Amino acid sequence: MAGKGRGVGAFTFNIEALGIGRGSMPEARAGPTPLFPNTEFKPVPLKDGEEEDYMLALKQEMRGTMQRLPHNIKAHANKAEVERYTERYLKQKQLDDTNWIPDWNFLPKELMPQKKKVVKPVKKKKAVKISRKESDAMLTKLDELEKKDDGNPEKSDDEAEKKKGNEGEEEEEIEAEEYDEEDVEEENDYIDSYFDNGEDFGAGSDENIDGEGTY
Amino acid sequence: MTAQEVRLCGLLLQEHFGEVVEKVGTHLLKSGAQNLRTILHETGISLDLVKKSLCVLVQHGACVFSSGRKGPGSPTEYRTSCDRILRILRYPRYIYTAKTLYGDTGELIIEELLQRGHMTMSSTVKTVADRLTQNMEDGRSMDYNEVSNSFSNLVETHFLQRCPPPPRAGPKESATPAPPAIPGTPAAPVSNAPPTAESFPDCYKVPHVTLTGRGKRQLSSEDVDDQRNAKKAKMDSETHGDEGICWQVNFERFHLHFRDQAIISAVANKLDQTSSEIVRTMLRMSEVTTSPSATCTKPLSANEIFRSLPTNYNILRPILDQYLTLLVDDPMEFVGKAGESGGGMYVVNMHRALANLARATLESVVQERFGSRSARIFRLLLRKRHLEQKQVEDFAMIPAKEAKDMLYSLLSQNLVQLQEVPKTPDYAPSRTFYLYTVNQLPTSRMLLQNCYKTVANLIERRLYESKESKRLLEKSQRIEAILASLQASGAEPEQLTEVEEMITAPEKQQLDALRLHINKLDSAENQVDETIFLIESYITSTATTS
Amino acid sequence: MSDVTVKKEGSAMDLAEVESRIKALCLQFPHGITDAVIQNDMPHLEPQQRALAINKLLSVGQLDLLRNSSGLLYRMKDGQSASKMKGSDNQEKLVYQVIEDAGNKGIWSRDIRFKSNLPLTEVNKILKNLESKKLIKAVKSVAASKKKVYMLYNLQPDRSVTGGAWYSDQDFESEFVEVLNQQCFKFLQSKAEAARDSKQSPMVQRNSSFATSHEVWKYICELGISKVDLSMDDIETILNTLIYDGKVEMTVIAAKEGTVGSVDGQMKLYRGVNAVLLPTGLVRTPCGLCPVFDDCQEGGEISPSNCIYMTEWLDF
Repeated sequence: MAGKGRGVGAFTFNIEALGIGRGSMPEARAGPTPLFPNTEFKPVPLKDGEEEDYMLALKQEMRGTMQRLPHNIKAHANKAEVERYTERYLKQKQLDDTNWIPDWNFLPKELMPQKKKVVKPVKKKKAVKISRKESDAMLTKLDELEKKDDGNPEKSDDEAEKKKGNEGEEEEEIEAEEYDEEDVEEENDYIDSYFDNGEDFGAGSDENIDGEGTY
Repeated sequence: MTAQEVRLCGLLLQEHFGEVVEKVGTHLLKSGAQNLRTILHETGISLDLVKKSLCVLVQHGACVFSSGRKGPGSPTEYRTSCDRILRILRYPRYIYTAKTLYGDTGELIIEELLQRGHMTMSSTVKTVADRLTQNMEDGRSMDYNEVSNSFSNLVETHFLQRCPPPPRAGPKESATPAPPAIPGTPAAPVSNAPPTAESFPDCYKVPHVTLTGRGKRQLSSEDVDDQRNAKKAKMDSETHGDEGICWQVNFERFHLHFRDQAIISAVANKLDQTSSEIVRTMLRMSEVTTSPSATCTKPLSANEIFRSLPTNYNILRPILDQYLTLLVDDPMEFVGKAGESGGGMYVVNMHRALANLARATLESVVQERFGSRSARIFRLLLRKRHLEQKQVEDFAMIPAKEAKDMLYSLLSQNLVQLQEVPKTPDYAPSRTFYLYTVNQLPTSRMLLQNCYKTVANLIERRLYESKESKRLLEKSQRIEAILASLQASGAEPEQLTEVEEMITAPEKQQLDALRLHINKLDSAENQVDETIFLIESYITSTATTS
Repeated sequence: MSDVTVKKEGSAMDLAEVESRIKALCLQFPHGITDAVIQNDMPHLEPQQRALAINKLLSVGQLDLLRNSSGLLYRMKDGQSASKMKGSDNQEKLVYQVIEDAGNKGIWSRDIRFKSNLPLTEVNKILKNLESKKLIKAVKSVAASKKKVYMLYNLQPDRSVTGGAWYSDQDFESEFVEVLNQQCFKFLQSKAEAARDSKQSPMVQRNSSFATSHEVWKYICELGISKVDLSMDDIETILNTLIYDGKVEMTVIAAKEGTVGSVDGQMKLYRGVNAVLLPTGLVRTPCGLCPVFDDCQEGGEISPSNCIYMTEWLDF
């Protein structure tokens, strides 16, 4: 949209017919234009008042708060902007106690974090008593995987990154676990097993416990 | 979705939810609906982080999910909403408006909900009561009841609504027809599109909440751990009867309010305070009876309007009639006459008003950027539709050479268009009319994109400014932290001064300048969003003229 | 030569006498005289001598040769131009004549060429010559730019050439237009303010903020800021620019026959109005006015980080 229509070439017709000859074109006349040509007009001053000041404060506060909330996801625990060091020092504690436990009723179950060691025995059991439905799903999965794995050379890199990333988030995951252990496990067999199966398939080693091997 | 929208969305996501969410969010913006596996594969981000990012996006309404699009049992697909992410820019205005309408309590309720995406009523009320108590003098505290009342008020006036129940895959649901889309949030064209909030009946029904008590004061830092444990225990045990019912901010309702305010203040600017008060009354009377996308309000009789005027407005009935006549006469067409019964029937023309305000916005852009004489040409073209250059010169009384330059500048910025009207089929230039014209809707669309780019530029510049002074900022924050802890431990004043002086005078100057710059950039973002709001509303209104 | 001398002596009338007699006749008949009139007056004069005298007078520009239905006509040139035309040749005189006939509407060189039947190069040479003698002047016509028309030096160009009140030396007087634009607005604005301050009923307030074009015209005339006489149409043209400036609105009402300022039973009413919006947020940022907006890109040569407009704005 923007950006079209600059210069003569942009017009589909002979612009000189308008009396806008090449020589008389504003841009052509200025010769080589500087990177930032002089401007005739200056911006109107910003509106200034109680309302504007208050909204400015709200905006900055909102940004600060959002950056400290758990909704602000850090790629690596230590990658957090150093400049926020002191803020963290001051405020982290008070934000920790409101650490985010999402209401899984509003989220797809597949987004739930994978179980940690606590859950392990349950899974093992499940894997043994593989149902027909599950084994079917597993076969489909297998096919898909074969297709997928070709041409995925970044795999190992990804994994390294993922592991680093996970270190910082363990705390959060454990909290989330408390929640999902109870009611979600049984209710949502299908979606859960979507991951579980893949995981088991991936050789069942502890390394693959959070389902990363699937991808 | 334009590149400018994606860029701005990315910056907003990054600032509020961090880089990872930004990556996932923009990836989805660019690629449309995708399932978890594809997202994982295409972004190269770890499963854990992708899941978390999706949770955050869904939690904040920036992402919707649905399953079974490719047949029953097909994987859940995620789709981010550009419109919704751009709303982050407007958060300060929602909060401020809640403050003006419902006081500090309303302000904090909206703020909390915007920060958390959605929450239950009980947890919102408790958090807000705690925060209010924190700011009260010692010994006083905020009653939960009071906050609950404000919350209910916000629901009654539709500023808050229940989160729609999540979509559940299954043949049963996918058979039900898609709910009607509410304006401004076009539903995805899939059969089992996620339900909109208003499509389910309990959307504005406040549940029975058992919640008694008062806000708690945050304890000093040493006690935080204790409190935290206590709170956790309480949270685990206590139930309030509204578990699983989450609330979100109804942006559409706020937008209707902003739209009405824009009309009212335009009337005040153009005519006078009393006229604007009459229009305010008319709009308030219509809130319930008029659908959000209606072109104008339901007709109101002069008698009704007279009865509904604020009591402190001592207008005599014949004077009201005069005001209404003047409003109808005004070329801005804010108010129209719809009949003669009941002392005259009147409507507020919302869509006409929006179109005229958008036009005034375009004019304002041309005026400030190219000067008042270019603006004269621009307005002339808006009024007369098609003009030859000679006609432009004559009507605008601008010499040929200048008019030509001005038209060229406007043309090169796409604010003005040129039409060729050949007199002969051979398109010979000598036998062709060249007519200048302004197309309001496409020009508005272009300016909207310019606004998005402008806000993104302002954010980039702000990030650059803070990055340039990063070390200094860190230093000052560290010193402030030390000062805070010294103060808490009752240090000597000399000690404090000593620490304070670790920031040198030139450093302080630099910090002040930086703060000024950041404030200016932030304020500018807020103010450009006002332009965005007007143009967006106008564009939406042209699409939903009903 | 001797031959001539003989004749001169024989006729007892020298050339100078014949010349002054012809001039006297011309003065007697200001509309011109035919050859026959001269013959009758001086029956003894040989045709050759008569021709000699007439040619002399014509060549020094004291006599004009005209053509009418009854044939050729000699007429006295007015003293001033005759003296100016001294030393001009016939072609020059012919061109001068063509230009003079065109009056204050002027004539352009192609038409001169056509009417004089002289080659273009010759016409151009003559025009230059006449211009340098300040006998004629070239005037840029507003009707078509680049088109020059010629008229006698001392003539006031017609409105169709000058474009009326808004042109001075055929240049559009932008500043004059803008001054009038401001003055008209001032007048309407103060009228609107007075109406507001009157605290009368809203309808009365609105109506008393109106001014007819006649009132505005009268106000401007009384201000005496214009060197030229402005018509009511001129003022309406200015008032229209104010409408396009978004500062004034116009309403047409029916007027009783004979009301001052009414035309065809209608009257135009103007009033100053307030802007509906403050400058919009976008133009409160440097980007809203940026001439290189489309070239700006983070990481590019022009970017928000290195933008000098932004720097200037932040430090202001």
